[in-house]
Amino acid sequence: MNNIKIKSKNLNVYYGDKQALFDVNLDLNEKEVTALIGPSGCGKSTFIRCINRMNDVIDICKVTGNIEMDGMNINDKDLDVVSLRERVGMVFQKPNPFPKSIYDNISYGPKIHGKGETKSELDQIVENSLKKSALWEEVKDRLDEPGTSLSGGQQQRLCIARAISVNPEVILMDEPCSALDPIATAKIEELIDELKKTYTIVIVTHSMAQAVRVSQKTGFFHLGKLIEVGNTEKIFKNPDNKMTQDYITGRFG
Amino acid sequence: MTKEERLKKRHRSEKRFRFYGLASILVALLFVVILVQNIFSKGSSAFKKTVITTEIFFDQDLLEIQNGASQEEIMEADFYDVMIENLIKAYPAKDRAEEDELLKLFSGDAEIEIKKAFLKDNDLLGKTITLDLTASDDIDQLHKGNYPRDLPEERRRISDFQLVIYDYFVENKKISKNFNNYFFNNGDSRDPELAGIGGALVGSFYSILICLLLAFPVAVLASIYLEEFAPKNKITDFIEININNLAAVPSIVYGLLALQILLATIQLPRSTPLVAGITLALMTLPRIIIPCRASLKAVPPSIREGALAVGASKFQSVFHHVVPLALPGTLSGTIIGLAQALGETAPLILIGMVAFVVDIPSSPVDPSSSLPVQVYLWSESAERGFVEKTSATIMMLLSFLIVMNFIAVYLRQKFEKRWN
Repeated sequence: MNNIKIKSKNLNVYYGDKQALFDVNLDLNEKEVTALIGPSGCGKSTFIRCINRMNDVIDICKVTGNIEMDGMNINDKDLDVVSLRERVGMVFQKPNPFPKSIYDNISYGPKIHGKGETKSELDQIVENSLKKSALWEEVKDRLDEPGTSLSGGQQQRLCIARAISVNPEVILMDEPCSALDPIATAKIEELIDELKKTYTIVIVTHSMAQAVRVSQKTGFFHLGKLIEVGNTEKIFKNPDNKMTQDYITGRFG
Repeated sequence: MTKEERLKKRHRSEKRFRFYGLASILVALLFVVILVQNIFSKGSSAFKKTVITTEIFFDQDLLEIQNGASQEEIMEADFYDVMIENLIKAYPAKDRAEEDELLKLFSGDAEIEIKKAFLKDNDLLGKTITLDLTASDDIDQLHKGNYPRDLPEERRRISDFQLVIYDYFVENKKISKNFNNYFFNNGDSRDPELAGIGGALVGSFYSILICLLLAFPVAVLASIYLEEFAPKNKITDFIEININNLAAVPSIVYGLLALQILLATIQLPRSTPLVAGITLALMTLPRIIIPCRASLKAVPPSIREGALAVGASKFQSVFHHVVPLALPGTLSGTIIGLAQALGETAPLILIGMVAFVVDIPSSPVDPSSSLPVQVYLWSESAERGFVEKTSATIMMLLSFLIVMNFIAVYLRQKFEKRWN
């Protein structure tokens, strides 16, 4: 059993008058993949955006309750979000490489955090990140081409490389394969399997099959509430809750 | 109605719509062609000036200077007698009255032109050279064919005797057309043959420069703050509405504002590019802010999120990613705003730029004219020479606007990056 990396206690999120999350208590284990499933609009994405405080971007969003990483309160008003996001990387639903070269896409993070003082150090970080995201072989000869010229799957792996480049502890993935074809999806899933040796990963997905394939732990959200959480095998074979059963067998959602 | 009838009706209405669209485009094109043709046919002759080839003998006794005289001595020397003595030899005139008529065929600057030729080459004392002297406005227009010579004499500005001299010049190939350097180098003048847009060009340049220096940084910073950092609440909504309203305020209102505040209260110098630049900057500010905000808004939020997610601060995500991506749109919006400012006349008339200024301004605090105001001034003049000058100035103004718009389009197409 791994250590608990992130712990949320009675987490509530409001968008204006509308409450999006209700008393979510969820623990995420270190160096493990946790999948979050549930119908659209159930609060999965809202939850993972609490972990790196991306909800700060939305003016009307208000978060109450507790969410801790290694005992540090993420929700603390005085917390520096820049150093938090250095430790918690994120990959988005749609690949969003910067309209810059492949090299610049990856070296940007280390540069702003003061990692990689010299050119050769930066080169090393870029190479390592691309290798870890299984993209190195495909792009090593064209690092100065724009990141946007890659295919969708390559772009998403580039975004994963960008997240890895600052050497985070946690990587959040918000439906990383929803815009990709099955082959690219398979590659990303393989990659996730590899990455979990080093990083704690949280993945939001709409694909039951994907959750089964990549995750060790699964949480099922419905209408802003965490209905059930447990080992992936158990959730998919023998869930405690009737609603979970109905959702994974496709009776609603 | 059967199915076929309905189908036919649908096709007919589509055809009708295409015809209306095509017709409106043709009408619009027709107007543009008429406008351009009109300006070109009137204005193109202004780029040439008529000159009379004359022999000039630099008589030492008349000039009263020695060989090897210094520049100052030459500047002070009187070239009037030299001019008279030489010009009356251009045609075998019989008496004083005929000589007077002959002299009127040359421009008022003939003396200065002779002096300049002498200054250029110090070795001319006691020698004879041939010089192309600018002809008077009447001869200029006559030679360019803008002036009907078959009117009765009392309705003409040129007398019958002057026509005889003119024909004599043409016969002896003493009259020709040169590139009109005066049009570009001179300031305004009462004499059309000597008037130029030099002063207006420099005045417009200073005004637009000041306008750019004031409006661009303020507009860009205001747009970035409003778009990226300001909280979205009633106050920012109110500011946004007012920026849009200000962009629609008639420009003459800005002229009134400048008249009251800049001239009456702060007492800045009247008729100067400085005041014009500030006035135009006030007017251009909202017109730059609007496209600038639009191009910031067009940067997809995913770019901002991507930067934030790797740990960039708000400031870094805006200035490393959003602003560079919005820059082409911002620059082209700025250039189009400046192009509008360049063509603006009404506010400049109110702050006194409509004054008659002969000197070319050497700094933004010298009185000056500007291109559109020069058009306005000359269009009210009666002399035929000013008609072609007006159209030629419009041609210059239009070509500046076309070049600026071209740069704006080029910047947008060349540097705009594609995402997704």
